[in-house]
Amino acid sequence: MSEIKVNFILNGRATTYVGEPRTTLLRALRAHGVTSVKRGCEEGECGTCTVLVDGVPMKSCMMLLPEVEGKSVITSEGLVGSNGELHPIQKAFIEEGAIQCGFCTPGMIMSVYALLNENPDPSDEDIKEALSGNLCRCTGYVSIIRAVKKAAAMMRE
Amino acid sequence: MLLQFDYVKPKSIAETIGLLVQHGSSSAIKAGGTDLIVWMKKHLIKPEIVIDITGIAELSGVSFYPHKGLRIGANATINQVLANREVKRSFPAIYEACLSHSDRLIRNKATFVGNVTGGVPSADLVPSLCCYDAVVHIAGPDGERDVPILEFITGPRRTVLSKEELVTHIYVPHIEAQAAGCYVKLARRNALDLAQASVACVVVDKQNGKDFRISCGAVAPKPIRALEAEKYLKGTKTLDETAIRNAADKVTESVNPITDVRATREYRLDMIRELTIKALATCIEGLRGGRMS
Repeated sequence: MSEIKVNFILNGRATTYVGEPRTTLLRALRAHGVTSVKRGCEEGECGTCTVLVDGVPMKSCMMLLPEVEGKSVITSEGLVGSNGELHPIQKAFIEEGAIQCGFCTPGMIMSVYALLNENPDPSDEDIKEALSGNLCRCTGYVSIIRAVKKAAAMMRE
Repeated sequence: MLLQFDYVKPKSIAETIGLLVQHGSSSAIKAGGTDLIVWMKKHLIKPEIVIDITGIAELSGVSFYPHKGLRIGANATINQVLANREVKRSFPAIYEACLSHSDRLIRNKATFVGNVTGGVPSADLVPSLCCYDAVVHIAGPDGERDVPILEFITGPRRTVLSKEELVTHIYVPHIEAQAAGCYVKLARRNALDLAQASVACVVVDKQNGKDFRISCGAVAPKPIRALEAEKYLKGTKTLDETAIRNAADKVTESVNPITDVRATREYRLDMIRELTIKALATCIEGLRGGRMS
């Protein structure tokens, strides 16, 4: 039951984490200060821990640390520009008031990022389907959908 | 927090079987891990060694072979199955079952085969596989064997797999005729919910008449085909509303649901009748509309 070394790319930077195999990616990221990744249900239900692994949105509580060996992981921190400028999706969420308590927001933003990479002009249905794994308990879905549409428009420009 | 375990990532099927023989019941196989990790977190499964099979190339991919069928590797995620065009075209009941499973994010990790090997009665992918007569391919220390899906699951969370065996892929034979299929699921919400009851239906339009295949989920300890209803429908000249209702009654007679946190036995029986009517109507309409398979 020894500790293992896991090498991966975190938000564009080569990173090495040392931990036990039982450490989930969620717990490893938070222990290293990547706190945009939220610990919600830790059972794969709520989506507050969503990150991109090699471009694919995943719930990081359902991933063991050794699974990201050699892979690229992007969190909401990774969408912020080098001078601190927010990503259009992050801006749109703020401007549209798509945040109440904010706990679900970083996970929502990662799912939206993956959606807009694939589909630059999603319909309401596309958005709902893409966010079906991200729960918002403040029930702010209407403003979230508005924010996604605004972000999509900003990114198409 | 998960209990401690050792983690190994074998590179071949042979190496995996070697590990299974060596560690037996103290080991657990992990592909997607979306089921295993939840059970390990609750300390209901306590493996000392987790065997991660995602590094084995032979177990990956979804491939369709014309005139033969669909091969779904043990590591293929549910979204990879959905992304294969032939699945939507030729196996609509599988396509719809995949879409009804969990949510977009989990489907990026959860494997198709994992939903089957879990052996839970509410598994979304199993009823459709029963309708298409899918075959589970197993590798073990004594070689390989094929088991029909209906025989693979023997009870809730129980399968024919021994502790030294591994499912390598599932094979779904191609239907050489026009066919329609669908999967109808009842749950409390659309995303991320287990079925209270579900019905998969496939109708094959053969030269000597129509072939009906009906299978139900979450209403019996193991997968079933509603054979009496299938036989009745095959022998029916006119497929009117009465015939469909009679068939639906026969389907409810072939299931044996339990009462649990998601629904009562009585509710499940009522709903199986309604879901069957809906599924049959959808398939018959699909065939009329020339929905090809």
